[in-house]
Amino acid sequence: MTNHELSRRTVLRAAGLVGGGLMAAPLLSACGGSGKDGTGGTKSGPVTLDFWTHDPGYVKTFTAMSKTYTDPFQYTLKFTNLAADAVVTKMLAQAQAKTGTPDIVGVEVSQFPRTMKNNIAKSIFVNWTELLSDTEKKDLLRLTDYSVDGQTYGLESDTCPTVLYYRQDLFEKLGIDPNVATWEELRQAGAKSGKAFGIAGNGTPGDAMGTFQQLYQQRGKNIFDADGNAQIDTPEAVEVLQFMLDSVKSGFFLTVPDPYGAPNAAALKSEKLIATFMPSWYLAYGLVANVPDQKGKWRARKLPKFAAGGSFGATLGGTGFAVFKDKPGTTAGVDLVRKTYLTKEGQLLRFKTAGYLPTMKSLYTDPDFTSFQAEYLGGQKVFEVYQGVADAAPPYYQNANVSVLRDVVGGQIQQVLAGKATPADALKKAASDFQKQSQ
Amino acid sequence: MSTATRDTTAPPRSRAEAPRRRQPLRLRLAPYVFISPFYLLFLIFLLVPILVGLYLSFTEWAGLGTPEMVGLANYRRLFGDDQFYLSLRNTLFFVLVAMVVVVPLALMVAQALNTRGLRGRDLFRVVYFTPIVLSPIVIVLVFQLFFDKNFGLLNAVLQAVLGSGGIDWLGDPWWARVSVAILIVWRWTGYLVIFFLAGLQGVPRELHEAAEIDGAGPVKRFLYVTLPALKPVTAFIVVTSLVGTAQIFDEPYLLTGGGPNFATLTVGIFIYRAAFQRQELGYAAAAGVVLFVVVFVIGQVANRLLGVGRNAE
Repeated sequence: MTNHELSRRTVLRAAGLVGGGLMAAPLLSACGGSGKDGTGGTKSGPVTLDFWTHDPGYVKTFTAMSKTYTDPFQYTLKFTNLAADAVVTKMLAQAQAKTGTPDIVGVEVSQFPRTMKNNIAKSIFVNWTELLSDTEKKDLLRLTDYSVDGQTYGLESDTCPTVLYYRQDLFEKLGIDPNVATWEELRQAGAKSGKAFGIAGNGTPGDAMGTFQQLYQQRGKNIFDADGNAQIDTPEAVEVLQFMLDSVKSGFFLTVPDPYGAPNAAALKSEKLIATFMPSWYLAYGLVANVPDQKGKWRARKLPKFAAGGSFGATLGGTGFAVFKDKPGTTAGVDLVRKTYLTKEGQLLRFKTAGYLPTMKSLYTDPDFTSFQAEYLGGQKVFEVYQGVADAAPPYYQNANVSVLRDVVGGQIQQVLAGKATPADALKKAASDFQKQSQ
Repeated sequence: MSTATRDTTAPPRSRAEAPRRRQPLRLRLAPYVFISPFYLLFLIFLLVPILVGLYLSFTEWAGLGTPEMVGLANYRRLFGDDQFYLSLRNTLFFVLVAMVVVVPLALMVAQALNTRGLRGRDLFRVVYFTPIVLSPIVIVLVFQLFFDKNFGLLNAVLQAVLGSGGIDWLGDPWWARVSVAILIVWRWTGYLVIFFLAGLQGVPRELHEAAEIDGAGPVKRFLYVTLPALKPVTAFIVVTSLVGTAQIFDEPYLLTGGGPNFATLTVGIFIYRAAFQRQELGYAAAAGVVLFVVVFVIGQVANRLLGVGRNAE
């Protein structure tokens, strides 16, 4: 889920691909240009689809889907597993070469802005806005994450609601009420425990930004507004950054270079970190993976709110599934993605197969989901926690320059946490740097 | 009567004077066919990408569609971009580390390994060489834990020895640079040791013996015998290390992602970020061209100064 998990091989592969792309560019440029929107191609029967993803969980999910649903298409899926950034790099190189593109592609949310420049998304992906009914649009969570100019080109695969995971046994032992209403109360309650109740990533700008972004959403803001304007130099942002700084200084938050790496695992194992605010996927990728021996000791709750206002709503991460248009497999690809994400049966199957939470609001109160008990969390009915979280978070509007914003804001957050700048000055500088650097 | 005798002392007629007997085309082309793979690969994988990169540096291109010519706009933007200068400064720092620390350290280790009668020389050689064959991902995972402020081995040792170990190795800009530098030293020293060791083993022992008879001690023998004899190897190592470090990417990207606050942002990361995160391939190409020119010029200067490829006098 992180976009800095990059292997040398990935880098070399990406470099090779762009080399090929660069070589092909002038030769193929004359053939460039987008075709008409469309979902043509095979209408029924056996069909082979190229499916690209960065997450093996989607291989499991879509394999199960293709075996379960065989009408009107009998799918054979050819999977290609790549790192999240390599998926987009390779996809664009193939699109430029006009051959070898996937039929279905999972684009990680932080990579999607790479398809926003020069109308790339519009020229290669099926437009879901034209295919979704009004009822479906109302029921789907997080449509804006994969939208350009109000048009949606990918369907979110996981709502990724952020919740507070905490060690119930240690909270009890320390006499800390896990149900406190606000962050400030929790900080006060844990002040003398010598434990940490969250982490602040400070290794890369992206990690620093991830921590900030989740808390910022709780204050009702996101990094871009609906018109694509950066919302960074705001009173809420200053408050959140000040809260992060105070929390790091007091030991309430632990600074770690990589929120998903070895130091974080060490913090969990040593019981220094006894609570952490993370998206739903962290349960499998963070807790179960790193501290399986602590099974049954953890619980989840909605995030405490800020005393100054806001909600418990926040999300982080995600992957949007897009279908390449004007290919023989386009109609079949749309059909498969539709069955997976727009039907209760599909959502239930993917939840049971790989643990992805429903992306339809209506399913958060459906007994087939709400009866689920998370074994690792001591049999807790987690849908009671996840319910409404993604809905309460402000919409995440994409911007082609989100990577620039992440770099400049993340860099300034690191300055603040290192005590080298005040939150207000840092955010002013970040806003100014963003203006200068964004093209 | 005269007897015609053949003048055997006369020089044979030169090829040019000899009547030309045209060889079959197949035979005449054969040498070119044999050398063609190199030139074909050179053309396809080096020359064409360089020229296309140069072309792209004058365009704006997001990776799909037709690149749009923008003249020198990318270069103008680049030379007004603070982060590009920062990346150049950071890269220079790592180049200096390679030149001032890694190369001399490799020479010292090689000298130690070249000691007569040293047991387990091959074992040492393998140990020193191991970092270069390990996956960078694995190395970085270990080093992240090693450098961690709260749970790191380094701070634990400092705490035990000095009673103070609160250095934020990866979170503080200066210490993050130091951390990357330590990783560079750890990873590349052993690799260079192999070259120096090969060079040292080629230094005739008689030279050392003669110098010893003339009264030269170990230091003087090293300075006046070993170093001059190693000049060709040293020149090669210096130039390749300089060029390689100028393009450094793996270590800072994987350990710190160029942070904190761009303290370890190198030109290599700058180019990667522009191309594969911001989808500004024209701008990335312009930075690549500038890096190419800088590295080429510095490499040429170093070549001339150190006499790489020239015969030893």
